[in-house]
Amino acid sequence: MNNDKNKKVLLKLDNISKHFGSVTALDKVTIEIYEDEIVGLVGDNGAGKSTMIKIISGNIAPDEGTLYYYGKEISFKNPSDARKLGIETVYQDLAICNNLDSVSNLFISREIYKNILGLGVLNINEMKSRAKKILDKVGINIPSVNEKVEYLSGGQRQAVVLGRFIAWGKKLILLDEPTAALGVRETRKVLDLIKQIKNERKEASIIFISHNLQQIFEIVDRIIVVRHGKIIGIRETKKTDTDEIVSMITGAIFVSKNKR
Amino acid sequence: MKNSLNYKIVARGFLNNIVWIIFLLLMITFSATIYGFFSVANYINIIYHSVFIGILAIGQTFVLISGNLDLSVESTAAGSAILSVWLVSTSQYASGYQLYTWVGFLAVIILGVLVGAFNAFFVVKLKINSFLVTLSSYIFVRAAAIWITGGYGMQGLPNGFRFIDMTRLINIPLMVYLMFAMFIFFEFLLKRTRFGRHVYIVGGNESAAHSFGINVDKLIFKVFILSGVIASLAGWLMAARANGSVAAMGRGYLFEVLAAVVIGGVSLQGGIGSLVGAFAGALILSCIHSALNLSAVSPFITNFIQGILIIVAVSLDALKRLFR
Repeated sequence: MNNDKNKKVLLKLDNISKHFGSVTALDKVTIEIYEDEIVGLVGDNGAGKSTMIKIISGNIAPDEGTLYYYGKEISFKNPSDARKLGIETVYQDLAICNNLDSVSNLFISREIYKNILGLGVLNINEMKSRAKKILDKVGINIPSVNEKVEYLSGGQRQAVVLGRFIAWGKKLILLDEPTAALGVRETRKVLDLIKQIKNERKEASIIFISHNLQQIFEIVDRIIVVRHGKIIGIRETKKTDTDEIVSMITGAIFVSKNKR
Repeated sequence: MKNSLNYKIVARGFLNNIVWIIFLLLMITFSATIYGFFSVANYINIIYHSVFIGILAIGQTFVLISGNLDLSVESTAAGSAILSVWLVSTSQYASGYQLYTWVGFLAVIILGVLVGAFNAFFVVKLKINSFLVTLSSYIFVRAAAIWITGGYGMQGLPNGFRFIDMTRLINIPLMVYLMFAMFIFFEFLLKRTRFGRHVYIVGGNESAAHSFGINVDKLIFKVFILSGVIASLAGWLMAARANGSVAAMGRGYLFEVLAAVVIGGVSLQGGIGSLVGAFAGALILSCIHSALNLSAVSPFITNFIQGILIIVAVSLDALKRLFR
């Protein structure tokens, strides 16, 4: 379908299905994510976007179907497996520990430590100096990296979350509504940051979920529309417009077809 | 802007260490006003009498920071004391085995592991609230120990058993040093190791911990077993000091432990607290006991003051939110 692109397929979902009880969250979904692209994932609430993200990030296992990473079949037992391949996720509910400082949050389950007598002794100075570099790159000023995240502003907190994907998202970055909780200026910063990261990392790709089509059209290369757990269509951003995408999301296209 | 920020950080720092400030103020006030309070011997006594609550508070702090609660510590300690004395002592009411001290010690540690694993199993596998699970073990562990041993008071332990209490270094019993060593080691474990960091992460945001690939179930198991083993060690020390055991041993310790950790700034919501604070909490309780003993007032006043102190400490903690 994307004949004009001669890019390697980074990740392929092949006939993936997922049921929750009698609810079918995903129904034989097949998509390919290429290297060096930003893909927008759109659809109404409950369409199955988050389920897809959770399967790709290793949080839940699909009932049927196969995942391929660079053409090789893979299955994730837990999120660590996915993270080892450089797949990093930013969740819409801001997976952050308010009781800890920015450094600890940036390094959750990626702590730098040395094994001394069976104890994983943390290298706190190393983590701190790396955290400063990461947050400098995000470009949002945080007064002290030892300040509990609880006492930071919404934008600063988001900076910590985004810092995580800048630091660890080497291959595939999954952004599940990263701007949902942010003000106008902070949203702007996040979007610019996503573009900047994409420019710097040619081999990495981003899957971006948002309800805001203006944002989608601004930053993504391709748009995947999900509805009732199925892929309704995939469009290149340059060759489509908001009207078409909205009608695909709401199902208006099928309604009109049926009328005919 | 910058100034107001600094003032907030200073205010929070002050409130974070408020428990030590309260402790110092109490010590100064009591020393100045109560006859006999101001002496090295009494100060050592205060620390000596904080050993059981202090050690039990270590395990409780780990469990609370992980977002759970362990009501069983008092019974595990009492059960361990009773079991070890029953196995080792020469009392006519004991088992008669008169086992080696180290065998008794091993039995006690196994008991701690079992109670901890029991608690963790129901919390992790059946997703039952830890309050309910440990309420159950709080009730049945002591009962089981009394049932098996017949519930008699038993006396007469070998010197090897009582070594930790009888030996003194610079006039201070060995078990006081043991408590200090434990606080230093476990504070290090909590603040400076990956395991401790994960305890904070799970207590702060369990679903985040899970999505970042931390094995939450395994961690909860470790924390409850840690608390069980520490409680059984405390029970061993209780037996060593008492040179025996009685059925009602350590009754009421649970609430003293909870009071100590809460006064010390450990949050029941999980994710917040430190052993430095919990230790101060245990010392505060011990110093109030000492003050009231020396001034020969009604023992009910002790409980009255403890109760008031909890609400004062927790309110001061809540003040922190004003300095966001």
